[in-house]
Amino acid sequence: MTMTDTVLFEDALANYKVVNERSLPDINYDGLLEKYHPDYFKDACVTLNVGVNKGEICHSQLADLLQADARIDEADLAGASIIDTDLLVIGGGGAGCAAALTAAESGVRVILATKLRLGDSNTIMAEGGIQASIEKNDTPQQHYDDTIRSGNSNRPVDKELVAKMVMNAPDVIRWLIQQGMQFDLDEYGDLLTRKAGGTTEARVTYFRDYTGLEMMRVLKEAVRSSNIEVLDYAPTVELLTNEEGDCTGAVLSSLEENSYKMVRAKSVIIATGGIGRLHLNGFPTSNHFGATGDGLVLAYRVGVKLRDLDSFQYHPSGLAYPQHLSGTLITEGVRSAGAYLLNANGDRFVDELLPRDIVSAAIMRECSEGRGIDAGNNVKGIWLDTPGLELKHPGIFDARFPKLIKLGHKCGTDPRKQPMLIYPTLHYQNGGAVIDSHGQTNIQGLYCVGEVSGGIHGRNRLMGNSLLEIICFGRRAGEHAAKSSPRKVHGKITIEHLSRLRRELTLSNMPMDKKCPILFPSYAKFEIDSDYSGLHKNSKE
Amino acid sequence: MDDPLNQVLLNQQSRIGSDLSLWLEGWGGDGLNVAMSDPAAIIPVIKEAGLLGLGGSGFPVYKKWQAIAEQKGSDKYLICNGNEDEPGTFKDRLLLEETPLQVIEGATIAALACDIKHIIFYINPNLKACLKSMESALERWLQSGFYKGIYESGLLLNYKILASSGHYIAGEETAAIEAVEGNFPFPRGKVPRPTESGVHGNPTLVNNVETLSNVSHILRKGAKWYQNLGIGNASGTKLYSLSGDVLSPGVYELPMGTPLSELIYNYGGGMLVGKELKAVFAGGPSNTILTEQGLDVNLDFESVKVRRAALGTGAMIVVSRGTGIVKRVAQYMDFFADASCGQCPSCKTGTYYMSQLLNKIDTGKGSKADLDNLVDLCRILPGSGRCHLLEGAVKVVDSSLYHFLSEYEKALQE
Repeated sequence: MTMTDTVLFEDALANYKVVNERSLPDINYDGLLEKYHPDYFKDACVTLNVGVNKGEICHSQLADLLQADARIDEADLAGASIIDTDLLVIGGGGAGCAAALTAAESGVRVILATKLRLGDSNTIMAEGGIQASIEKNDTPQQHYDDTIRSGNSNRPVDKELVAKMVMNAPDVIRWLIQQGMQFDLDEYGDLLTRKAGGTTEARVTYFRDYTGLEMMRVLKEAVRSSNIEVLDYAPTVELLTNEEGDCTGAVLSSLEENSYKMVRAKSVIIATGGIGRLHLNGFPTSNHFGATGDGLVLAYRVGVKLRDLDSFQYHPSGLAYPQHLSGTLITEGVRSAGAYLLNANGDRFVDELLPRDIVSAAIMRECSEGRGIDAGNNVKGIWLDTPGLELKHPGIFDARFPKLIKLGHKCGTDPRKQPMLIYPTLHYQNGGAVIDSHGQTNIQGLYCVGEVSGGIHGRNRLMGNSLLEIICFGRRAGEHAAKSSPRKVHGKITIEHLSRLRRELTLSNMPMDKKCPILFPSYAKFEIDSDYSGLHKNSKE
Repeated sequence: MDDPLNQVLLNQQSRIGSDLSLWLEGWGGDGLNVAMSDPAAIIPVIKEAGLLGLGGSGFPVYKKWQAIAEQKGSDKYLICNGNEDEPGTFKDRLLLEETPLQVIEGATIAALACDIKHIIFYINPNLKACLKSMESALERWLQSGFYKGIYESGLLLNYKILASSGHYIAGEETAAIEAVEGNFPFPRGKVPRPTESGVHGNPTLVNNVETLSNVSHILRKGAKWYQNLGIGNASGTKLYSLSGDVLSPGVYELPMGTPLSELIYNYGGGMLVGKELKAVFAGGPSNTILTEQGLDVNLDFESVKVRRAALGTGAMIVVSRGTGIVKRVAQYMDFFADASCGQCPSCKTGTYYMSQLLNKIDTGKGSKADLDNLVDLCRILPGSGRCHLLEGAVKVVDSSLYHFLSEYEKALQE
């Protein structure tokens, strides 16, 4: 079949009927990933020529960033002020806040620098929930097994990290509750859980369909009322190293003061998140505006080993239509609650609670084999059968998915009455910096936590494991950095590692015209938005 | 003509580590044999060859040797100075690590020429591989039949490897003597000279590792050969430590007098792409800065001196337009302030105060008065210390002010 056979949006909508139950036909999953998952696209990856991962494969758009010149040179730092601190946390999302809070509790001086404002992050985008084996018939072992199994990797998942994470999970929930976070509870006041795709037990705790937003709300409050010094609008443009190559601080570009600042720190924690805003393979993304892979670039330059740079998660249910909202996330919780995925013929074509990579690949198969729905302008997708769910569980949307109702409102539809057109959206970077169980990288004094790190999720992440990871490893890194602080002294701060980078780039004939980290997506409109004028000026110099 | 690169000291025949039999099979031993056959002829040959002190002074080697040889006494000392510690200099470590036998043979000939009894290889303890390599080479040297022959001919030598304290100042001539005596390496006053009264009051010859490495080759191939190695009036070869924003940094052995531009562009692979050359810290951070106009200078002691700079140890730190000169100089001054032994108040406080001023200016907190103070210090300080540390520290500041005053002014607080 060819694309011309695709069913038009209006026709498909007219044909759609609300039905309570639909049976799942026999599905062939053989070769599904290899043929349809974007990680397997031919030509998507290249071999790295520069740095510690030289010779390994990496997505070409990420490779362009990792193998680019730095934004600054020594001369740019003339007259730059120096601030001393024990710990510098880069990134104001969940992982960064958890790390900063934990460290500050031990009494060390903490600076938290964030590119935009505190809390502007992918954490607030997380809807589904956070996993922890807290139900009676569940165990950390099962959580561990589910995580490893869904990792779906020929390259092994880092089992030690997963073990630490699942064992920490109940305590993470306790800590969050202590911070003031709300969860959905049953009539006895116990935490409600739902089941994530690819898992054996219900263990995702949640608050409505904006769990991450609620989490960020309390973390932000906690940071603001602590003695952590928060530097907003201060993207990190480079790390600083001493003569041994250890990380000793970072260079921040203060957008408000239009100048560079150097922070001299005993430890640095990178918690900058992922790279959705690169729109890999041309996909829309569910990610926050700031997800431009800065942390990976910074860490790679000082010599941090990275892993699984060819593996990304495409979330099955990204809104496909209307187009200006494309990529917006619809929580997996909807499928978990029982919503079906339907093709243009109104048939189910995949077990909706399989791991995300398989469900996404199945959606792409439907669309490319002519059973997708065409909304014009190259927009295609399949139905998320929300009316069917409402029929089965009346009132569920009002109670559990208020954010989705609001999204429907923005689209001019009511999800309870009309199915939503969805298509996979670039959601998560599975790989990242190689870390140990304290979040430490192979570079002394440098930690990476959250999405910027790799090894926990293999090639496919489970719903609810990401919010767990950021708090679990954020706290672990913060605690470790704070503990090691009294034994350390401030090191020399240089950008000597850039000479090494430039030498390698030159010797392998790489172009040097691009400057990284890019900090903002290419379509950022500095000339209109005055908030970013500082960066605009800095980058022009 | 032969390839000018790595003709002698860094030739593959020299870089054989501590393998004595390989050394003797190749061009090792010949120089010492020639020297043994007529010890009185050694100094005239060295004089004719025009060997200079390659540790930075450029002082004719034969003069020192003659002074020692003329002294009476049976307990003369030779200190082979391998306390290399200056930023940007990394040539001696290569010689000690890869050509230890070349160093030992050279030192032995020097001892023979000056009737020296004690040879001390004085090495920076941070260069662990050098210590190891020298220890292993010396052990084989002492146990070999070759050495037995020398010993039986009546040349009684006492070799010793001594790890220095690891301080920068410990490489100063008289500080090294203090260290050999077992004291903290405080430099001494320069009268009496070490050639008259050094270790325990005995005449003491202090030569750099690179200087001594040349000796066996000069005796083996003759003075004319050595003279012809150099370009123009200069003799021999020189090890240049090239570093900074060049594509291929490293140690290059080239004919003495090779133009700086040739070193940077032919051997160093040129500047990193997209970078323009801004300045060269010629002779390391304790000397005058050269800018683009100075690139055609021939790198030998005389030619560099004409440009009011100095060849020093042969370190060439190349920096590109992207480098902040104030920051770089401030870093070097931090080093000197840290390295000052603290004996002379002017040096102890002078380097410290200059480092404070430079860091203040560099971090945007400096005022016009701070800059004026810095300029004044450059006038007042030189000549007030026992050794040359203070001179070197001032020289780099003075020279950076001369070439890049605008950069200092730009960094001042508005």
